[in-house]
Amino acid sequence: MSFNLEIISPQQTIFNDEIDLCILPGIEGDFGILKNHMPFLTTLRTGIAYIYQNKKMVETFLVNGGIVEVSENKCTLLSEDILKTSDFKVEKTDDKKEAEKMRISKKLYYS
Amino acid sequence: MPSLKDLRNRISSVKSTKKITSAMKMVAAAKLKRAQDNAEKSRPYANKMKDIVLSLISRSNTNNLKFSKTINKKTVLLIVCSADRGLCGGFNGSIIKHTKNLINILKKNGKDFKFLFVGKKAYQALRRHYKDLTIDLISDFANPRIEFEVASSIRDSVLKLFFNNEISECYLIYTKFKSAISQHVESQKLLPVEKDNKSENQTKSIMYDFEPNEEVILDDIIPKNIAIQIHSALLENLASEQGSRMTAMDNATRNANDMIDKLTLFYNRSRQALITKELIEIISGAEAV
Repeated sequence: MSFNLEIISPQQTIFNDEIDLCILPGIEGDFGILKNHMPFLTTLRTGIAYIYQNKKMVETFLVNGGIVEVSENKCTLLSEDILKTSDFKVEKTDDKKEAEKMRISKKLYYS
Repeated sequence: MPSLKDLRNRISSVKSTKKITSAMKMVAAAKLKRAQDNAEKSRPYANKMKDIVLSLISRSNTNNLKFSKTINKKTVLLIVCSADRGLCGGFNGSIIKHTKNLINILKKNGKDFKFLFVGKKAYQALRRHYKDLTIDLISDFANPRIEFEVASSIRDSVLKLFFNNEISECYLIYTKFKSAISQHVESQKLLPVEKDNKSENQTKSIMYDFEPNEEVILDDIIPKNIAIQIHSALLENLASEQGSRMTAMDNATRNANDMIDKLTLFYNRSRQALITKELIEIISGAEAV
């Protein structure tokens, strides 16, 4: 029950693997893609892409615009501005309020 | 016949030239590796984007697109990508030659043209003839790597000119990287967007589901596509430049080696001849006594 997802940025191919499900922030609302999805083309807004493998969420990406093409059990995501959320680090700040903000925003990304 | 001192000087000067060229070769080889990596990594994105745009265009009515309308029918913008520095063999020369050929063809078709130079060398070569037609010169952008912002700022200025009806067509001239010893100058049409007759037959007739619809998606991704094509061209160009420089410097080093060998042989022969001459003089002098 899997299909291929490829995430490509101008600098490199960020992700290329077989996955179960991905939920992407489309321009007209979030959508999920499963195996045998019909040919589909849309643009993305700013948001978070969730990737599921073996019924578990394995990765999230912050996306700022892009294009998604689905055809023949292959999903291609092109984005100029995309970041793996696990690459984020909370910088240490003395300001407690700042730190709390960071903590909450990170929690939101993962939830 | 040059004196021995002259020969020694020549040998040492060729030797120091060889040191320079072999150092430049090493530097170019190291830079080539990185540039080639970057160029190859950018290819999947650029190719995929091109495919999507072409297949979208082939199934939609391009006459309504704002990127296809041309009011000013005459002026062509040439984006010429070259190197900032010389000493890279025929790299800049072939770009300039290609540009001149393109200019001649366009002149025959009764077109005007404007230039946007990326890299100093082509600008230096062509500014004598076309100084008034140059819109902009972008240089020193590859330090330490080519950022995407360079490409998008070029795209912005191109689109601004296009929508102000100052240009009707836009070509991108760059060198495509094949390997360290083989590069090929290409010109790519960026604007106006039109159907590619060749690829139309190949496009698979899958019915896509579009969200929101073809036109909106096209309006959104054509500017992106232009930027990415420029970015990828700049990366290819940089890799080609380094490859070309590496080969040129390799040849120069080898030529310097040949020259040193020849000069050393000549030097030793002359020295031997001189010694023999002196010996003969001494012996015949002694015999005379």
